[in-house]
Amino acid sequence: MKVDFKLNERSVSWDCAPGETLRAALRRKGIVSVRDGCDGEGSCGLCAVILDGRLVNSCQILAPQAEGSSVLTVDFFSRDRKLSIVQRALIDASCVQCGYCTPAVVLALHDLLARSPKPSDEELRDALSGTLCRCTGYEQFYDAARIASERLADPEYVVPLGPEFRPDLRHVGKDREKVDASALARGEKAFVEDRVDSDACHLKLLMSPYAHAWIKSIDVSKALDMPGVVDIVTHENCPDRVYTTAGQGFPEPSPHDQRMFPRKVRHVGDRVAAVLAETPEEAEAAIKAIVVEYEVLKPVLSIAEAKAPGAPIVHHGAVSYVVGDPPAGSSTEGDGRDDPIIYQFPLHADPHRNLAASVADGIGDVDKGFAEADVVIERTYVGKRVQCTPLEPHVVYAKVDADRLVIHASTQVPWHLRRIVAAAVGLPEHKIRVIKERVGGGFGAKQDIVLEDVAGYMAWKTRRPVLFRYDRAMEFMTSRTRHGMEITVKLGARRDGTLTAMDMKVEADTGPYGQHCLTVPMNAVSKSLPLLLCDNARFSVKTYYTNLSPAGAYQGYGAPKGSFALQGTLAELAFELGMDQLDLIEKNMVRSGSRLEILKSLGEGRPGAAVTLGTCGLDEMVARGRKAFAWGEPKPESDDPDWKIGRGAVIIQQGSGLPGLDAANAELRLLPDGSLLMLSGGADLGTGLDTVTAKAAAEIMKLDMTDVTVVSGDTDTTPFDKGAYASSGTYFSGNAAVRAAEDLREKCIKVASGILGEPESDLYLVPRGIVRGKRGEISLAKLAHMATQGEGHGDLVGFGNFKTEHAAFPYGAHFTEAAVNVRTGEVRLRRFHAYQDCGTPINPALAMGQIYGGVMKAIGHSLYEELLFDDQGRPLNLGFTDYKIPSIYEVPDDFHVELVPVEDEVGPFGGKSVSEISLNSAAPAISIAIHDAVGAWCRVWPFTPERVLRAMGKL
Amino acid sequence: MVKEYFRPESLDEALELLAAPGALALAGGTWSLAFEARDKPERVVDIGRAVPRTIETRGASDGRGAELCLGAGATFQEIVDSKSTPPAIRAAATSMANRNTRNRATVGGNLGANKSCSSLAPILLALGASVEYKERSKASVTIALADWLAAPGGLVLTVIVPRADGLRASSLRASRTACDIATSTAACAFRLEGGKVAGLRIAIGGFGPRASLRPDVAALFEGKPLPTKADIEKTVAPLLQARADQRGSVEYKRLRGAALVADALHAAEEQI
Ligand SMILES: Cc1cc2nc3c(=O)[nH]c(=O)nc-3n(C[C@H](O)[C@H](O)[C@H](O)COP(=O)(O)OP(=O)(O)OC[C@H]3O[C@@H](n4cnc5c(N)ncnc54)[C@H](O)[C@@H]3O)c2cc1C
Ligand code: FES
Ligand code: FES
Repeated sequence: MKVDFKLNERSVSWDCAPGETLRAALRRKGIVSVRDGCDGEGSCGLCAVILDGRLVNSCQILAPQAEGSSVLTVDFFSRDRKLSIVQRALIDASCVQCGYCTPAVVLALHDLLARSPKPSDEELRDALSGTLCRCTGYEQFYDAARIASERLADPEYVVPLGPEFRPDLRHVGKDREKVDASALARGEKAFVEDRVDSDACHLKLLMSPYAHAWIKSIDVSKALDMPGVVDIVTHENCPDRVYTTAGQGFPEPSPHDQRMFPRKVRHVGDRVAAVLAETPEEAEAAIKAIVVEYEVLKPVLSIAEAKAPGAPIVHHGAVSYVVGDPPAGSSTEGDGRDDPIIYQFPLHADPHRNLAASVADGIGDVDKGFAEADVVIERTYVGKRVQCTPLEPHVVYAKVDADRLVIHASTQVPWHLRRIVAAAVGLPEHKIRVIKERVGGGFGAKQDIVLEDVAGYMAWKTRRPVLFRYDRAMEFMTSRTRHGMEITVKLGARRDGTLTAMDMKVEADTGPYGQHCLTVPMNAVSKSLPLLLCDNARFSVKTYYTNLSPAGAYQGYGAPKGSFALQGTLAELAFELGMDQLDLIEKNMVRSGSRLEILKSLGEGRPGAAVTLGTCGLDEMVARGRKAFAWGEPKPESDDPDWKIGRGAVIIQQGSGLPGLDAANAELRLLPDGSLLMLSGGADLGTGLDTVTAKAAAEIMKLDMTDVTVVSGDTDTTPFDKGAYASSGTYFSGNAAVRAAEDLREKCIKVASGILGEPESDLYLVPRGIVRGKRGEISLAKLAHMATQGEGHGDLVGFGNFKTEHAAFPYGAHFTEAAVNVRTGEVRLRRFHAYQDCGTPINPALAMGQIYGGVMKAIGHSLYEELLFDDQGRPLNLGFTDYKIPSIYEVPDDFHVELVPVEDEVGPFGGKSVSEISLNSAAPAISIAIHDAVGAWCRVWPFTPERVLRAMGKL
Repeated sequence: MVKEYFRPESLDEALELLAAPGALALAGGTWSLAFEARDKPERVVDIGRAVPRTIETRGASDGRGAELCLGAGATFQEIVDSKSTPPAIRAAATSMANRNTRNRATVGGNLGANKSCSSLAPILLALGASVEYKERSKASVTIALADWLAAPGGLVLTVIVPRADGLRASSLRASRTACDIATSTAACAFRLEGGKVAGLRIAIGGFGPRASLRPDVAALFEGKPLPTKADIEKTVAPLLQARADQRGSVEYKRLRGAALVADALHAAEEQI
């Protein structure tokens, strides 16, 4: 039917189906800025438009309802490539991270300012109440609203400078516009879903309704004959190979235990068949016509069940090792029916006993340490499964072009993706090009090859372009979650609080497949134990297969759970000792010059080595927190008898990439006009990595940020990079960019030396892009121009490679003040302060945004988030209505981030990593604060009101 | 799949179109176009122009006092913004914390959805609201809201809330996060006569298929001074029949619901 309305103040007359949503119609007509984060459930607000002056979700409006109305999208505010006051303010306040939510936020703020030009904080919360953002932690939206409001009154208003660092540098340590921010704020095409051609076919999955079952038979004949169906793949006709979906460096420390389509389904949502059809509806219809007969098996639904004698076996295929021998006593012979498992090297596994990986090690004499202790306590902490929930779900667009497979991906690991898809499809790597588009949030979930293998395979097989986009329910069911973990910590100490022994036992649940089964749980230990100095320490890690949904990477890997267990137990020890918990931390924490012996036993997949710390900022960070919270003084009084107030503090750490394992590369080209093209392998997930590499180029080449364009994460045009995980972005990809720029600078000086007739040692670069000597000077533009003119020195290109043996640890001290309702168990965060060292903050406000966002995700898993399953392993909360991620209303009242930089000698300009570490604090800090408030220890996250009441003995 | 969309200008036309089996009356669409109702009906009748949308106070039909009339098409945000809205109703409307949803969701849709977690139903029930509704080829009828919710029929046109002086009222909800669907809701209205509770009405949501008046709970407190919160909780909890789900166990829900009732009663008492 015809629908006439005003779109962005222009009349349009569209043909729409009566049931088409306004969102779908707008996207069909090329308005890509209306996004979709919840499949029309109404809870994310990313599809927002302003309809007749009201902010509404276009997914819950039928297109014909727009008849006679006025509809505004962000595109209205981006006319003529201009930026509105709000768009500008969001960029200036560093609110554009992945940018997937940004168009919706722009509309919400315009709507707010139209109603209230000087909005209060409460009005801002109300304005953004319907818009979810998983990246920013919402805090900087308050700055954006203030800036926009000031500029409404005074267009010349200048934003006061935030904290700045490294006065010797022009760009580094100063806030500069994030390089992709304006395109994202304008709602331009940027994401995978924006690259899809009109002839794309749609891939849909038939997913297992059972947690554990053999596929006895599968009949696709009827489905294949249905209209629009292009092809169907099942375990009967898919490539017969196993691989791991973990996007890690090769050889991966994860078993190759997954077939594109398994013969035995191992979780609800596991792949049974994929249908490729011309329309989504045709694909759905064909899915319904596939007939499958299952032999249902008893599922394994917990760690306890997985390790119980006689437990059902999740993987029963033949186990083999590429390098090394099977662990003594492990079973390797398959049942002749299940898919094989191939370990690249031994991980102390025994899959037929559901053990996917294990490791144990330590230093000193732990038993002696406990014998010498005055107090010994042992506690078990449990972290439930939580989901990354990037607001852009997993999505891929794969097509064949010039006899190559081109994959537009939303990924953290373009090169691992190419390698894994090549192996899965059976192609050499040169036949595949991966183009990382803007990523609408990754957080670890997109470190895995969750859907690219099957999309790539079907595109290659059928030569048809394939769009495969997860809906939110699939995202919850079959994307990656943080491993479920149960961690038992035993600590021994003398009366004065000196630790004499530490023992940490980690048990983890990897779900049906073993991606990251060693590294994630291992991080529970390796990013928590080294915070405390103790001569006697040991740990063990055991990861089990279960039939729950697949686990994988999530920011921080296992560290948030390890930190929860260790810092929580340490606070319990302080309580037993009658000491202040922060005093006990300070008594035992690492400091400048500390020798970290424990690192000998914590090499990530290779032998470790003890390290002597250089400068460590923990003392300073703890001191700042103490002061801000008036730690020595009595706690603030609550004015309501129902609410009790408590405080908690923790110290945290992370790494900066994987020394000795990973590598990054970059190439910097001087273009004929003297501007720069940075070709970075790095995968910017919205974290600002491209801005880091642009800064490196501008800083070193003495140019402005506007003189640099970054192209990144394209396996054809940019050099290899391990990808964005393990907090490696700034450290590895950033350093590669620094080296590429230094290389280009050397080359330019060399060429200039010949032209100017001055020795290289007399030449140096000055702004803006001038090579200056003692007598003469020449611009980079001139040099570059000559390079194109056959002057003999060829194209000027710098190349940088970075790898290192040096481990750089960012540290932090986080403080919280919580109010706990003694009648209802509800917890409100009154204050949360993060004092954090990320080395030189390359871009301070963006770094702070990473911390706010990280903390907010951790507040989510501490208080609200938990994937729930029924007694058959069926996931229960598959949308944002039921699985609650924090909205702006859940932000702590006083949310404060302070950077306390300690430069790293190897990091780019002294920089270290920033974001992952921020997830390590909230759970222990809040649980300690709850105890401080009401005297109950909550050892299971999330601390739902019900769990708090139970801990208090009220239920 | 939706095959037909209509936007009738008149109520009778709307009722006529809705006579087709399975036809859906579409108001704000925040319920019927989301959640489990994804398999959309074949015929959608957008009733936006067919039902009243105004919010106004008028003299009561019986000549005594005033009454508030909420047009079925009024959105939650319009209720929040209207100067005619009494505080307890505004609190109930605001408890739908998601502004984008409030901009679409309507009074009629909220009653039509008739969910246990409804934000508006408890306070409207507690305030003794009635509903004017109309069925096809019949004259419009006004009945108590409680009766309509027990056996919904036709299209709601207007919700009529008597406005009585001296009535203390409050509406509260418990949810995991601000924008969550409520785990439980409670609203109450009463007078204090000589320090004693009089004319108490309590409505509770989250326990049973829909929000409903709880005379059994009200009877505990009628004619007496309001007990302490702890005492209220103790007596109310056993009367709440809960079902365990992902929002909590039976025991927790009972405890939470009872605490909410206690808070609602005390919040109303504290009003001046
Ligand atoms: C993100 C989100 C958050 C939500 N939060 C809340 C909340 O906090 N509190 C809450 O109560 N609900 C909440 N809901 C549910 C829903 O929004 C409300 O119930 C809303 O009031 C429904 O109104 P509507 O106008 O959108 O109804 P619609 O979806 O259009 O219709 C709902 C039902 O009512 C019927 N109906 C509509 N108008 C009439 C009428 N005049 N007479 C008779 N029947 C009619 C329809 O036929 C349909 O069956 C939420 C929904 C979403 C998506
Ligand atoms: S897609 Fe519309 S609200 Fe989420
Ligand atoms: S910036 Fe908001 S979701 Fe990523």
